[in-house]
Amino acid sequence: MDKLSREEVLHVAHLARINLEEDEIEKFRVQLKKLMDDIDKIKDVKDYDEEMLISPVDHNAPLREDSEGKMLEYKTVMKNVPHSTGNFVEVPVMLNE
Amino acid sequence: MSKYLDKSIEELHKLLKSKKIKPIDLVEEAFDRIEKNKDLNCFITLNKEEALKKAKELENLEVDNLFFGIPIAIKDNICTEGLRTTCASKILENFVPIYNATVIDKINEKHMIIVGKTNMDEFAMGSCSKTSYFKAPHNPWNFDKITGGSSGGSAACVSGRLVPLALGSDTGGSIRQPSSHCGIVGMKPTYGRVSRYGLVAFASSMDQIGPMTRNVLENAELLNILCGKDPKDLTSTDKKEEDFTRFIGENIKGMKIAVPNYFVSDIVSSEVRDKFNEIVKLLKDKGCSVDYIDIDYIENAVTLYQILAMGEASGNLARFDGVKYGYSYENPKDLEELYTKTRQIGFGDEVKRRIMVGSYILSGENANVYYDKAMGVRDDIKKSFEKAFKKYDFIIGPTTTTEAYDINEEFNDPSKSFLDDILVIPVNMAGLPGLSLPMGFTNNHLPVGLHIIGNFFEEAKMYKLASFIEKELKLNLDPRGGKDE
Amino acid sequence: MNNYKTTVGIEVHAELKTKTKMFSNSANHYGKMANTCTNVIDLGYPGTLPTVNEEAIHLGLRAALVLNCKINKHMHFDRKNYFYPDNPKNYQITQNRTPIGVDGYVLIDTENGKKKIRIHDIHIEEDTCKSIHSDKSSLLDFNRAGVPLVEIVTEADMNSAEEAVKYLEKLRELLLYADVSDCKIEEGSMRCDCNVSVSKTDKLNTKVEVKNIGSISNVGVAIKYEEERQIALYEKNETFKEQTRRFDDKTMSTILMRVKETGNDYRYFPEPDIPFIDLTDEYIEETRKNLPMSAEERRNIYLDAGISKVNVEKIIQNRTVSDYLNKFIGKINLVIASNLLLGDVAAYLNKYEMKLEDTKLTDEKFETVVKYLDSGKINSKIFKDIIEDIMENEESIDEILENHNIKEMGEDELIEIINNVLENNTKSVEDYKNGNERAIKFLMGQIMKETKGNANPVLVTTKLEEMLNK
Repeated sequence: MDKLSREEVLHVAHLARINLEEDEIEKFRVQLKKLMDDIDKIKDVKDYDEEMLISPVDHNAPLREDSEGKMLEYKTVMKNVPHSTGNFVEVPVMLNE
Repeated sequence: MSKYLDKSIEELHKLLKSKKIKPIDLVEEAFDRIEKNKDLNCFITLNKEEALKKAKELENLEVDNLFFGIPIAIKDNICTEGLRTTCASKILENFVPIYNATVIDKINEKHMIIVGKTNMDEFAMGSCSKTSYFKAPHNPWNFDKITGGSSGGSAACVSGRLVPLALGSDTGGSIRQPSSHCGIVGMKPTYGRVSRYGLVAFASSMDQIGPMTRNVLENAELLNILCGKDPKDLTSTDKKEEDFTRFIGENIKGMKIAVPNYFVSDIVSSEVRDKFNEIVKLLKDKGCSVDYIDIDYIENAVTLYQILAMGEASGNLARFDGVKYGYSYENPKDLEELYTKTRQIGFGDEVKRRIMVGSYILSGENANVYYDKAMGVRDDIKKSFEKAFKKYDFIIGPTTTTEAYDINEEFNDPSKSFLDDILVIPVNMAGLPGLSLPMGFTNNHLPVGLHIIGNFFEEAKMYKLASFIEKELKLNLDPRGGKDE
Repeated sequence: MNNYKTTVGIEVHAELKTKTKMFSNSANHYGKMANTCTNVIDLGYPGTLPTVNEEAIHLGLRAALVLNCKINKHMHFDRKNYFYPDNPKNYQITQNRTPIGVDGYVLIDTENGKKKIRIHDIHIEEDTCKSIHSDKSSLLDFNRAGVPLVEIVTEADMNSAEEAVKYLEKLRELLLYADVSDCKIEEGSMRCDCNVSVSKTDKLNTKVEVKNIGSISNVGVAIKYEEERQIALYEKNETFKEQTRRFDDKTMSTILMRVKETGNDYRYFPEPDIPFIDLTDEYIEETRKNLPMSAEERRNIYLDAGISKVNVEKIIQNRTVSDYLNKFIGKINLVIASNLLLGDVAAYLNKYEMKLEDTKLTDEKFETVVKYLDSGKINSKIFKDIIEDIMENEESIDEILENHNIKEMGEDELIEIINNVLENNTKSVEDYKNGNERAIKFLMGQIMKETKGNANPVLVTTKLEEMLNK
């Protein structure tokens, strides 16, 4: 790739939900550019067939019988939850939806 | 202190069975060795209290299997209920899983004793274990050298004889490459051989848990108890139960071996190449045929790996957001800040780079340009390996291009961590089994590994070749040089 | 103002009627205490992996079949990546490349005959958490996280609010009768999002997505509101950006949620944790063969049996009644049976707030009572008298009739009564013989009065005619 702009760095940081400090933007810009140059090499690969490999396994997915298994106690659910109110997991206001 | 832990598992089993020793003797000795080698920084979390308690409990039980009462170390990306599992990341610094990985259930069934969780690259992303939030482990052969990675802590604690056995995980060489640098035996089984349930995912279509041990026999023995189809992991494969040790000791005469030209090209240091050539000579002397072949697309493997592993990782690591578990940025002004600050503070740079590039790869039109094409070429790599295995029993090469480098050496090149694994990554692309076996020492007296690649689900056959070579080489693989501690 | 053409496309999410979740074996229950129907998979714990619910695939296939879709026999799942707190892994497992069904259609009735609404695709996916919002925070309940869903996406084939409503009613009926989903909009087991645009030309204008519409009729209201709102803007020469609005049922209007930025970037990729799923031809045919009888087929049977159009629709509206009635096809008079079910039986159930299966009405009793009504052995008045006994007692219909002292009058007794009536009403007999057909009705009435309703009316008619024509 020719160049990677500051805006593009901020865009991928947004997609990945990672805040970047002002002084980090340039550092990551240089590093990401290097990695993007690496992956660009895929464009030079010729003569491959169209079939795609999603996973190396050859078998089909076994299906699970629709019967109920063990569930967690609500107290266990809350063990690792950083913020909760009553039975609920709490997050800052969800604006968008 | 007695040196029980230098004995083989089979010897220890006999001692336990005949009540000459108790599990607690082994556990205490392990913690004593860990304590004395604290500087190696092999462990992130020790399970001392629980391990001693369990050892006591085992005294009331019958010694019913080979691994009964044997201490084991677990890489810190494998979930252990009630025992902190950090993935060497700040974001999981205080994370205590509420469930066990399937392999942990299997280990517990055999009444093995988990001594602790081993150091690693953060989320298994790296090739020298230096991306760990808890600082890098050191190589028992030379304190100033890296262990390799990402399963660096597991490799170092087995190599340093702190514990006889460890579990690692391998996405692009993370078992085999540190095994090579630390002079131990590390197996990445065929994709689907061992359940991934409970292994914190890095790249789901490549990740595989495997055994890391002092010798070939114990490696095969440990794989015996790890493998098997798991209804909780749809990619685990239904295979007839088998004993992976069953061919060990058999003659290898007449076996057909291939060496990809790429594996002996100038990407490999001459010192490592020389060691490897000695092995080739040995095999020929013992009646094997060795052909140099080309494997199509093998030179593209690292690029495919970068695209697919970073893409999958960007999805797999999205769940760490400060909502359900793990580090959570305090008093965020809004939801966006909770996400972006939690992940900014929680992840290290290597992880950030990989998930940012992964997001880029999958974004909009790029998905087609990079990701779909990489999946397409990945299929071709698999096919070209399959073609080779129609003619050959094994494909071999060196595991690493060089010996372990200096731990203080700083690389500004973000590609470095991928290039370190250039010889081992192709195996993960195809889903094949790969094993690293010590093949000798460099002039700096650092071990280097031989990489044996087998056909799908032919681990037993690989152990046969590996144990044969191991026996021929008779290397002294104890970094303490047989000296008392 | 009316030279604008409206274009509507609809996305429906319907929860599948399974016992467990799509990718985990925790319970698929509605209305349980928050965060009590979960496991580590639903919570998106690190290291967990999905498993695939067989029944969900089965129901997804059924839905695809009733929507006349082509089936993707070699299908897999994909990850849809977006950060949102109700999305535990911050990716949703769905089907992007290989939806279970594509290129289907639904036929709706319009003023101009049948209209085909094309189905772009139907895919299987997992539901998100339920969230409750306040000013300072949002609260998450993971019970709904991972519940199996099908999403059904139409082409932009509807041109009015009425057509959209008809499509949704039809779709709901198809899914309900295929036993795929409860389709309870009020409980959120069916959810509709509409894309609405208006244009004076054939070229489509900017579309507006309306979400969170709580009932099918409100979909109509929302579309009409959007039509007017958008036309008014165009008439003022104003333009607007693609946006998402929500329907507010207090003001019956749509409210702006957000303006869409440069397309959603969901970064789809194939789900590596789930290998391919192959639906064999045998399996597909077996599923097709075992589909429950469709509403359309039921309608035809009922109409053929002579049930009125109004009553047929009433039956179709009530799946329980329809299923009950279907047990007796070919055995009894369906008109009488349906009249009972929609009339006295429904009234009884309403009065006591009961369900049919909670009563003592057995299939045998129902069959008998309908046959008695049909043959005239009893009449509807008698039925009203004994319905409480039928519903509440274990006794057979015959035993109930006996207890009420209702027995059919013997032939001799009946002939005597007829003779008496004929003797006392010579004028009417005369009228009948002169061709006054109405006279017989009067005589019938007199006879029934004398028999106190205990005679079989069919028998009375036959005997009376016989005696008059002697």
